[in-house]
Amino acid sequence: MVDLQELHDAILNGDAKSAAAVTRAALAQNVPAIELIQQAMVPAMDEVGRRFECQDYFVPELLLSARAMKAALEPLRPLLAASGAQPAGTVVIGTVKGDLHDIGKNLVAALLEGGGFEVIDLGVDVAPEKFVETVQQTNANIVCLSALLTVTMLSMKAVIEGLRAAGLREHVTVLVGGAPVTRQFAEEIGADGYGENASAAVALARSCARSAAVG
Amino acid sequence: MRCLLVGCEVLLRELADAIARSPHTIDVEFLPKGLHDLGGARMRPALQTAVDHADPARHEAVLMGYALCGNGLHGLEARRVTLVAPRAHDCIALLMGSRQRYDAYFHSHDGVYFRSTGWLERGRDIEQLARDAGTDFTLADLIAKYGEDNGRYLFDELRRYEKSYRQLTFIETGLESDGRFEQQARAEAAEKNWHFEKIRGDLSLFRKLVGGEWDPADFLVVEPGERIVASYDEGIIKAERIG
Repeated sequence: MVDLQELHDAILNGDAKSAAAVTRAALAQNVPAIELIQQAMVPAMDEVGRRFECQDYFVPELLLSARAMKAALEPLRPLLAASGAQPAGTVVIGTVKGDLHDIGKNLVAALLEGGGFEVIDLGVDVAPEKFVETVQQTNANIVCLSALLTVTMLSMKAVIEGLRAAGLREHVTVLVGGAPVTRQFAEEIGADGYGENASAAVALARSCARSAAVG
Repeated sequence: MRCLLVGCEVLLRELADAIARSPHTIDVEFLPKGLHDLGGARMRPALQTAVDHADPARHEAVLMGYALCGNGLHGLEARRVTLVAPRAHDCIALLMGSRQRYDAYFHSHDGVYFRSTGWLERGRDIEQLARDAGTDFTLADLIAKYGEDNGRYLFDELRRYEKSYRQLTFIETGLESDGRFEQQARAEAAEKNWHFEKIRGDLSLFRKLVGGEWDPADFLVVEPGERIVASYDEGIIKAERIG
């Protein structure tokens, strides 16, 4: 019998090889993919987030756990697609125009993926039109914008305006983050939410997805 | 008049030059570049402590040798002494002598990394991350701490930004002792396979700040009882009443 705790610990410890191996073994024993996600991966990433919050984990540990989680998720993808399981939400994420910082954005993308979201990562230096176009094409319901420079932060506003002009603003939740971004700034540009760090961003996306499901 | 200058060590040479030329008496407190790496919310308390060292009986103003710096100045309070801060997003605008020049350069050059004497001699890239994680982030360190496979993965991830940048621009102010800074900057660009460009810096904002020429177009004067907040517009920062 496969021990789900083993998968949980492999992710927590950033051990990608074990995480993938345990997942494959579990699938071979017909453990449902959804059970692996809900009972091992999501709790493991929650614990990673908790450790980050209390400064027990730092960016390297976060990156390694995200890597292990992705390795475990890989063999599950075809099964999830075949089963018709719906993702928690579809997220379009990117670092805004002019800004090339990607560590924080990559972490949020990885954590969202681990949290059951379908994530479309547009990379760095992403023009407002590209965000709008991708939302149009994918029917995404969440847009996550990252900026590390106050000089590029205002591009976030341009994305929100672009979504509005395209008639998409009501259909998507816009979440913003990055070191210089504040709650006040998020409110001022008309974003729906602000995540202070990567794990907060995931909690925020989840609560948006939940309220969308209820509403 | 007598002022207290609170400055970032990255700008030490430029500010020291301005102090030497100032008609005023300038006391100084330089803070470590590492504050920049902590991010705005953690940088501000250290700045506030330094600002609060100003003595109202002695100092007419506290001069900030900083830009908005990732919102490091957002929320900074003038408690007992007037605060003066340049209107700039970051120190590159200060080194270029104008935020308009910086804006134009930034938006017409994709993926530029900037270097000046201070950034070369005092500013290592991911210093704070390294201190938090207890490693220098060399490949050998990462492998020793996280194992061969994870160490290499982290090394690649943490340096992936280098592939996004295309150019290294060295801002020469004329205060350099010799050609070593330019050589270092050229070597760094060559090592990372970035295009190298040298541009002439402009010391006028430093000299105006320390010389007491606070044109409202370029400087924000914050009276006691007010604080600095980011304004998200052309002015970059504005004053707001505390409380």
